[in-house]
Amino acid sequence: MLLELNNIYKWVQSGGQKIFLLKDINLKVEEGEFISIMGPSGSGKSTLLNIIGMLDVFNEGEYHFLEDSVHSLKEKHRSNLYKQYIGFVFQAYHLLDELTVYENLEMPLLYKKYSSAERKALVADMLDKFNIVGKQKLFPSQLSGGQQQLVGIARALISSPKLILADEPTGNLNSKQGEEIMEIFKELNKDGVTIIQVTHSEKNATYGSRTLNLLDGRKV
Amino acid sequence: MYNLYLKIASRYLLKNKLYSFINILGLSVGIASFVLIMMYVANERNYDKFNGSENIYRVYMDYMVGNSFSPGDAQSYNLSGPTLKKEFPEIEEYVRFFHLQKAALIKENEIFENNKGAITDASFFNVFDYPLIKGDVKNVLKAPNTIVLQENLAKKIFGKEDPIGRTLSVFWKGETKVTVTGILKDIPSNTHLKNNFLISFETLKTSKAIPGQYEPNWSQNNFFTYIKIDKKADVNALQSKIKESNFEDDVDERHNIESLESIHLNSNKPYEAEANGSESRVKFLLAIAFIILILSWLNYVNLATTKSLERAKEIGIRKVSGAQRPQLIFQSLLESIILNSIAIALATLVVVFILPFFNSYTGKELILTSSVAVGLLPYLGFIFLGTILSGLYPAIVLSGYSPAVALKGKVRASFGGLNIRKGLIITQFFATIVLLVGTIVVAKQIKFLENQPIGADLDQVVAFNWEVLNKREDSLLKIDSELFESELRKLPYVKDVVSAKTYPGGGYDNLSSTVGITYPNGTVDENRIFYTYNVSPNYFNLLDMEFVAGSSFLETATRSSNKIVINEKMARHMQISNLEDAVNKTVKLWGEDWVISGVIKDYHHFGLKTAIEPILIRHHEDKNNLLVKFDKSVTSVAGFGTVLKDIENIWDNAHTQNVFSYAFLDKEFQAQYSEDKNFGSAFLIFTILTILIASMGLFGLTSYTVVQRRKEIGVRKVNGANIINILAALNKDFVKWIALAFVIAVPISWFTMLKWLEGFAYRTTISWWVFAVAGCTALVIALLTVSWQSLKAALANPVDALKDE
Repeated sequence: MLLELNNIYKWVQSGGQKIFLLKDINLKVEEGEFISIMGPSGSGKSTLLNIIGMLDVFNEGEYHFLEDSVHSLKEKHRSNLYKQYIGFVFQAYHLLDELTVYENLEMPLLYKKYSSAERKALVADMLDKFNIVGKQKLFPSQLSGGQQQLVGIARALISSPKLILADEPTGNLNSKQGEEIMEIFKELNKDGVTIIQVTHSEKNATYGSRTLNLLDGRKV
Repeated sequence: MYNLYLKIASRYLLKNKLYSFINILGLSVGIASFVLIMMYVANERNYDKFNGSENIYRVYMDYMVGNSFSPGDAQSYNLSGPTLKKEFPEIEEYVRFFHLQKAALIKENEIFENNKGAITDASFFNVFDYPLIKGDVKNVLKAPNTIVLQENLAKKIFGKEDPIGRTLSVFWKGETKVTVTGILKDIPSNTHLKNNFLISFETLKTSKAIPGQYEPNWSQNNFFTYIKIDKKADVNALQSKIKESNFEDDVDERHNIESLESIHLNSNKPYEAEANGSESRVKFLLAIAFIILILSWLNYVNLATTKSLERAKEIGIRKVSGAQRPQLIFQSLLESIILNSIAIALATLVVVFILPFFNSYTGKELILTSSVAVGLLPYLGFIFLGTILSGLYPAIVLSGYSPAVALKGKVRASFGGLNIRKGLIITQFFATIVLLVGTIVVAKQIKFLENQPIGADLDQVVAFNWEVLNKREDSLLKIDSELFESELRKLPYVKDVVSAKTYPGGGYDNLSSTVGITYPNGTVDENRIFYTYNVSPNYFNLLDMEFVAGSSFLETATRSSNKIVINEKMARHMQISNLEDAVNKTVKLWGEDWVISGVIKDYHHFGLKTAIEPILIRHHEDKNNLLVKFDKSVTSVAGFGTVLKDIENIWDNAHTQNVFSYAFLDKEFQAQYSEDKNFGSAFLIFTILTILIASMGLFGLTSYTVVQRRKEIGVRKVNGANIINILAALNKDFVKWIALAFVIAVPISWFTMLKWLEGFAYRTTISWWVFAVAGCTALVIALLTVSWQSLKAALANPVDALKDE
């Protein structure tokens, strides 16, 4: 088992009242799964993804990731955990504008004490794998949306995470580009990478092995 | 990793050109001003510092004024030095200077005008650590009629020839022939004793030009005396002993000493060797230097923090990719170090480029030598520390964003953060308003000084300096001068000619200060100092001085008489209530009877910085200055250039060898305020710089608020607000902040400038409009800065602002 959420609650205080963002969420994820989270706007999809990614905290419940109990970890250990095991893919790609494709891919490795030779090899692998060798010296603004998302996925994968979290990865793309990106996720999943994606699209959700539907913070 | 940091930093700076430009410009302006002022201050504080200078003291005279002693004369008697040395064993050596200002040196027929020098003891070299380039230290100033030249003067006179053994004529009140025995290495310009040449003391023994100074006496104090004290001696004890001793048998004066190093910034006595600097002015500048530097850092903090909002996304990505907070802080610091390094480099260039202008402006000779640079190193350390500190705050803010929030672009600066930025802006505008008030008050005071009636009309009056260098007999010289005077009178544009020892604005030169007079009512006043000089009868008429009682002297065949004219202040000292009563009364001075022929209205002899002193003017034709009053209707058409050329020709015909020098009386009078004018212009420059920096800070903050309020602006526009409404909404806050800055600035600037005005005997008022002008200027500048950004936001299409969400 990769991770397990038990009775997760998250709320914010507003005008003396608790407004629940997530209510009693239970989720077990095995390694190699491809899960789609669906639901209307405001149903808590992104909040749940952020909690799984340990970017956000919850108010109640338990979260076990591999051997660790996330709910009892200090912030520093939590961030070490996600840095080691989780890769993020965003709707708006979130590439660094000041860096080239090559440098964007190299950036996460710099924070993880890889040697220069290792970095070169890993970046070259990724460039190769996603067929973007020819674009390595370009800046993000010189790429199409689809190409930028490719770089985004490559960057998420570069330090071989166990889990990829994708928040509407095709939201800013046209349908053809979107399909290509989904095909890539499918390939990655076949190679053993666990994927959890948030999506609005029924069609994209079908790429996953199962779907989690949320409404008003509850599983339905 | 560092490579990557550098790469990102440089690309980021290049991409955001306006931001980088404002940042670097602001920082370099701050650093350059700081360095310039520090150089100036270091120069001022290092006056008269050399090896052993800490053991040297100047002997000066305290006079009894009322019931207590106060510094009365920077000069002492020719007996002061030798007597003190004899009486007090802790005094190792003394040296005396008899100053020769504006002396002309003549080599064969070549004239070198306007040299400062002194007649001094051979012990000069034992007291002052100034090395000789040529000549034997033990003997150079021993023999009579020998001279030591400073290197630059020797080069000017002799070029590449060897000056040793050559003869020169020194003209100062007459001719003195001297032989060059030594060359002194050029001494630094920051000394209050700027002597280009030194003549041996023994020369005074036979000098016809300067009689009566050689014989030891306790009656004429025309010598600057310096003593060297044993390192181990108790200076305070020595000072008390000196103050208690009474060698000259006169209870109304005493000797006192002050440290040589303190003279330039702390001494302001009558008859100083030169107009000294002022410690309070140095402190003022120092404060301004730090304010400007700190303001420019605050600016940097403000801009960087503001900009960090735009970089929240980047921070989010980095965090998600595994960056630790220290790594992010380090990267942010690195950027600030890069920016500051560029700014320091640019500031150095600015300093090198501006230094000549700064020098001509301040009358200094500052140069950026390696030793000066070494002296500035501690400040460089300070600058670097400031850099780190100013980089740290934005770094901490920037690295503290939570990645989930940052990635959504929903970062809002915390309420506290906004307050800090508000505080920065208020501080900057507080400084701006204080400096603006200062600038206006200084300008107002100078204008007040210049426009205040001084009790004499100096317009169109030129003083010709009566120094003739012929080698002819005195009687012939007199004929020459009379010829010149009558020739002058023939000129159509000359209204009047009169000779006078000195004139209003002439300072202490040629003015005698005296204590000891018997008033008409028989009272003997041995306490109060008064001043006296000689003039011809027409002097009062030429300068349009008003008589309140009696009239001027009558001309006599001998061109002098025992008649005097006094001013009102002198009459009050004599306890004469009805001024008419003073006329024809007799006073006793220097053992002679003098008859008062008239009382003139008080006039300002020393300028309006000091109070009016009692003055007694004697009837005696003195050839020091020839005052010529011109007809304005002619000079305003022909211009002074041609007029002066005419006179120079007549002058040259009258005297075969001479120095033609002249001064416009009104300009010379105004020159007494030149230090204050320089101070005023320095104030203006630094105010402009502060305004520049403050505007940059405001510009940064506006761009921040505008980003923050984009959505609000969009919503307002969609709901029908026009551009004016939007501008008003955006600018309202800034007006409030400046109002707050204004409220704090008014009392502080009022108090500070009141203190400054206390340095003047006659002062302008700090009117309410001074504050109004300063406040409005700050407000207008702020609104202009703000509106540039606000307008952009107000004009933006609301759709762009709203679609993000």
